[in-house]
Amino acid sequence: MRLKAVDARATELGLFEGQSLSDARALCPQLVARQIDEMGLTQLFGQFADWHSYASPIVEVHDDMAPYGDLMIDVTGVSHLFGGEEKMLAHVTGRLTRLGFAVQAGLAGTVGAAWALSHYAPGVIIADEGSPLPWGRGRREAAGEGAFGSEPDARPPHPNPLPQGRGGVDAVPDRQSLADILAPLPVEALRLDPMRVSGLRQMGLKRVGQVLGRDRKPLQARFGDVLMARLDQILGLRTEKLVARLPLPERQVERRFADPIGLLDDVMASVSDLSVQMQALLESEGLGAQTFHLFLYRVDHQLMHLPVNGARAMRDAKHLTRLFANRMERLSGEFDAGFGIEAVRLAVTSVSRLDAEQAGVFEAGDGTADLDRLYDRMASRLGPQAVQRTKYFNSHVPERAVQLEPVIARTLDDALALDLSGVPERPERLLPVPEEIQVMAEVPDGPPLRMVWRKLTYRIARAAGPERIGVEWWQPGEGGLTRDYYKVEDGDGRRFWLYREGLYESETAVPRWFLHGLFS
Amino acid sequence: MAQSVVKPGKRISGESGSSTSARKLALVTKLRDQIAAIEKRHGQAERAGDGQAAEGAAGFRTAPAGILHEVWTDQDRNAGAALGFALGQARALLDRQRPAILWVQLAHEGQETGLPYGPGLRRFGLDPEALVICRVQNVTEFLWAVEEAAGCQAVAAVIGDVVQPGKALDFTASRRFSMRAEAAGISIFMVRYGTGREASAAGLRWRVMPHLSGAAPFDARAPGVPRFEVALEKGEALMGLKQGSGNWILDWTDHGFERDTDGKLDGQPGEGRAAALSGAAFAALGYRLSETA
Repeated sequence: MRLKAVDARATELGLFEGQSLSDARALCPQLVARQIDEMGLTQLFGQFADWHSYASPIVEVHDDMAPYGDLMIDVTGVSHLFGGEEKMLAHVTGRLTRLGFAVQAGLAGTVGAAWALSHYAPGVIIADEGSPLPWGRGRREAAGEGAFGSEPDARPPHPNPLPQGRGGVDAVPDRQSLADILAPLPVEALRLDPMRVSGLRQMGLKRVGQVLGRDRKPLQARFGDVLMARLDQILGLRTEKLVARLPLPERQVERRFADPIGLLDDVMASVSDLSVQMQALLESEGLGAQTFHLFLYRVDHQLMHLPVNGARAMRDAKHLTRLFANRMERLSGEFDAGFGIEAVRLAVTSVSRLDAEQAGVFEAGDGTADLDRLYDRMASRLGPQAVQRTKYFNSHVPERAVQLEPVIARTLDDALALDLSGVPERPERLLPVPEEIQVMAEVPDGPPLRMVWRKLTYRIARAAGPERIGVEWWQPGEGGLTRDYYKVEDGDGRRFWLYREGLYESETAVPRWFLHGLFS
Repeated sequence: MAQSVVKPGKRISGESGSSTSARKLALVTKLRDQIAAIEKRHGQAERAGDGQAAEGAAGFRTAPAGILHEVWTDQDRNAGAALGFALGQARALLDRQRPAILWVQLAHEGQETGLPYGPGLRRFGLDPEALVICRVQNVTEFLWAVEEAAGCQAVAAVIGDVVQPGKALDFTASRRFSMRAEAAGISIFMVRYGTGREASAAGLRWRVMPHLSGAAPFDARAPGVPRFEVALEKGEALMGLKQGSGNWILDWTDHGFERDTDGKLDGQPGEGRAAALSGAAFAALGYRLSETA
């Protein structure tokens, strides 16, 4: 067993990450070691990251370097809302620091540079104008590293070549270029694996500047394309994009509370207000949306994300409120406001044009609008997969000919209406999984005389068939046997749909029988 | 009323003309109430007559909209017959304003009694697009789904299929369903299994059992059109029937429910209309049967 994470006091005692537990115990007999819950931590950090969508919609967790991930926020075009980049960085980190998190953050024009700054020069912002790179303009990333700890500064500082204190924010003068600022950072800042880092250090390359200044060809030959990619990424010569964890809203309205709210009713009240706002917003642009997202920001850094889908584009506030009420009901027991909810945001995706409709005076509608609303309500309460309708597919195999698809995710190319007129009788009810039955037949190939289904014996009075359904050999992975279907009726008038699987002698020695459906 | 007597005479005399009109109004209202009361019972049943060919079999007619039905069958292996009967009743209620039928079933009972199968529903004249299948996780959701669907003006009928309803499906629930059904003009069919009957507010209670079918045309060994043994256990008055007269053996044909289409059941001549029906397809199968057997 090895140490995975150590706190500040342990570092003072000479313990480090990756040390074996027995060594650590030898150094420090009173060591308290706990098993790490990596899954839990990753999940927790993911939620923590999601919660930062209050600051910017594009939030991602980079998990390639740090054990639980690095939180990356794309601050392009949002920093002015906080009064500038310095203030934004100070706001985000200050807020976390006050809550007892140990935070390091940096802000730069590329993902790589932001990461390097956050780890090895926390608090530094590389101003946009200082960047000599054409690509660097416009895109700004901020990287932060959050560590969970009950006491501030619980995390050991990384080797820090620059004198900036963490938490404080220092804007670097404009004239310094990105490469100049990165130059004094250690080579670890290039986001390389330990093998490559130690290789670079063996070569005497200890600072980023030294690596940047060298001829690329020999470096590439020795360390491979990974190093080249990292160098390009940090300078912005190679694009690296953040992939948002949450759906990107096309329109949004939100409400922040001076005092956190906790009751479900209060939440619903603000949802209803926001729905009205959203309706007005969409109406003014002649739009409707199919997917609505409700984000509840809790004060304790958790985000509840409740999506609701509609069968058609809509914007009616009353209907929307009802859908969210249903959705809330579905999670009734799981609703947990924690220490309170400080902000509620309603966002929409999949926006499309929706013109105002006028109901006819003399002609009643055909009811499809009402139906779609009903489906919305049911899907929001029962889950989108619970409300389905039949969709046909061009197949002879009965269970493949029909598939159930959610009514609200209805595909529009319904034009392919299948002609079923030539298809023989089909049962009204089909068992999702055919059940094996024991059958006695007069002749091996003939219709059954007697069958045992669910431990009961049925005497077959009448039978029609067989209808032979062959395998669809052109389907990939198809390896079934030919089926002979019979419609049979027992002495009491129950009508069943049976099949014999496999052709006698040519396909199988002893064919098996299955019951597949119930006729009325 | 008492107040108007106390009022000065001048005013009473001045309103003599309007008081007669008020009396007339009261009379009209009273008559309207009476008509409404009558309509609620027999009037509803009459309305079914101008819908689909209701009077197919002697004394049997499909029920009008806005009623809670219970369709009982003794075992779950008769599920096909119960569904067929409910669909037969529900088809008459479909029209342009109400194009959908909702099917509600507990998800884990799907394997037990089977899921409605689109191509098989064609026999009941039902476009599979019209049937929406709603699979719920528990009985609470089941009740919610049925009630919610019954409140929608565009739904023709709700069919709830439940093998083990638990305690939640009690008299109160059925009362709620029945009021919903009446208010929205939607029929709710609760397909139930077993022989025990609980107290319920259902307007009509049917017992539906499969019955040995008449022979298929051209092939005596093949099963014929669906045949049900139907008993109306509750609600004869609602359907305008005499006590104890609600027993039929019905065939489902393209014209709806009909009695004894092949004329062999009890000696009465059948109408013979069903002969050339959906039989063609499986009669063809029947031919092949003789070759293989």
